[in-house]
Amino acid sequence: MAQLRTGFLVDTSRCIGCRSCQVACKEWNRLDADKTTQQGTFENPRDLTPMLYNRIEFIEKADDKGNVTWRFVNERCLHCGDAGCMKVCPSPGALYRTKDGIVGFDKEKCIACKYCVSACPFDVPRYGADDKVSKCHLCLDRIGAGMVPACAKACPTQTLQFGGRDALIAKAKGAGKTLYGEKSLAGLGVLYALEGKPEEYGLPPDPSIPTSIFLWKDVVAPLGILGFWGSIAAVVLHYVTFGSRPLEENDEGKGGDAHA
Amino acid sequence: MHRYVGRFNTPERVLHWFVAASFFTLLLSGLGLYSRLFHNVFTFFGGGEGAILVHKYAGLIFFFSSLLLFANHAKDVCSFDDADREWFRVLGGYLSKDPDHIDSGKFNAGQKVFGIFMGIATLLLGITGVINWWPQSFPRAIVQLSLLLHGLLFVIFVMLMVVHVYLTTVGNPGTLEGMLYGNVRKIWAKRHHPKWYKEIEGK
Repeated sequence: MAQLRTGFLVDTSRCIGCRSCQVACKEWNRLDADKTTQQGTFENPRDLTPMLYNRIEFIEKADDKGNVTWRFVNERCLHCGDAGCMKVCPSPGALYRTKDGIVGFDKEKCIACKYCVSACPFDVPRYGADDKVSKCHLCLDRIGAGMVPACAKACPTQTLQFGGRDALIAKAKGAGKTLYGEKSLAGLGVLYALEGKPEEYGLPPDPSIPTSIFLWKDVVAPLGILGFWGSIAAVVLHYVTFGSRPLEENDEGKGGDAHA
Repeated sequence: MHRYVGRFNTPERVLHWFVAASFFTLLLSGLGLYSRLFHNVFTFFGGGEGAILVHKYAGLIFFFSSLLLFANHAKDVCSFDDADREWFRVLGGYLSKDPDHIDSGKFNAGQKVFGIFMGIATLLLGITGVINWWPQSFPRAIVQLSLLLHGLLFVIFVMLMVVHVYLTTVGNPGTLEGMLYGNVRKIWAKRHHPKWYKEIEGK
């Protein structure tokens, strides 16, 4: 992955919450509409769904004087450099990384174990009625054809910027932006430019692969294979050193002597 | 038949082999889920989805048959006496060439611990299995822990199974007969489970 990694920058300060990205994604990826309910907020839908690969979170905040400000955060798969979903996926190719660093998925190869749902540091993958994984794939079909992702194409304010990851980082830093995700999880493919703490945007301040998942796949699983062969070795060693306890039919007394 | 004494009756033996068969089915169908190294094992089940399906239903059979097996022997397995303390002290005599002179009952201390572990592990593997089956119905932290625990218990389980198979076959000739035909040789009973032998002969 030494070659140029594709990047995506979400400059939250520019977002006006128009949700063009949501609509454009649905159109390009032919995703059905979700039935939602009015819950007293402009945020809609309230969560990612199998038919919604990205959405705008509306975060309301009131200051001391009672002035309300809104923060808009584009929620989606962040295409982690060290991706929890790929670490746990037991079906090679169901979740895969393209040469430019995007994490794609192949429903044909997904075996519906749902491990990725638990392993994602950002709770992104969703399973729909087809019982197959779905999430943002950064429109890798469009990228392959030299176009930008549908959401970035539709964004009227350049909140969503697509390009070379290094170039995007350099540009954002040059403009004095605070970046989220430059280093964490071997670098996120999708970075945020934030105007406050990550927590204020509903993002984990220090994202990492969940500890249980790390212990399961990187500690227990490899040690388990060692443990299996270790126990085989132990019983073989026992057999050739102390040996078995033979039953001599005529041996009513002390026993074991015949074997000594 | 006078050279033999009965050790496991027919229902006990059938139950044991139900547990064993479902265990090996679970082992095979779960191997590909354990690590991508074993992805090819999915082929036995026509792919990963087939393996998961088999794993879920074999899990149900294993859960109930293993718990039943435990319940069946719970009375013998859950009480420890002085002979068992002696067994722990000399580790069953397995680290010496001398035959053991431990006055074990129907099950020795090692078998008791093994039985208790099997009961607890079956319960936990069943609970975590159900959580892993429907991950979206439980809090994420619970599912993450459950995946870890399921894997960890599986590893311990397999290691103990290696030891179990060794000790009941080549390690202690004559033992397998009890689980195959139901009867064991008297000399076997006298040597390995003297207290139990005295009890049944006394009757």
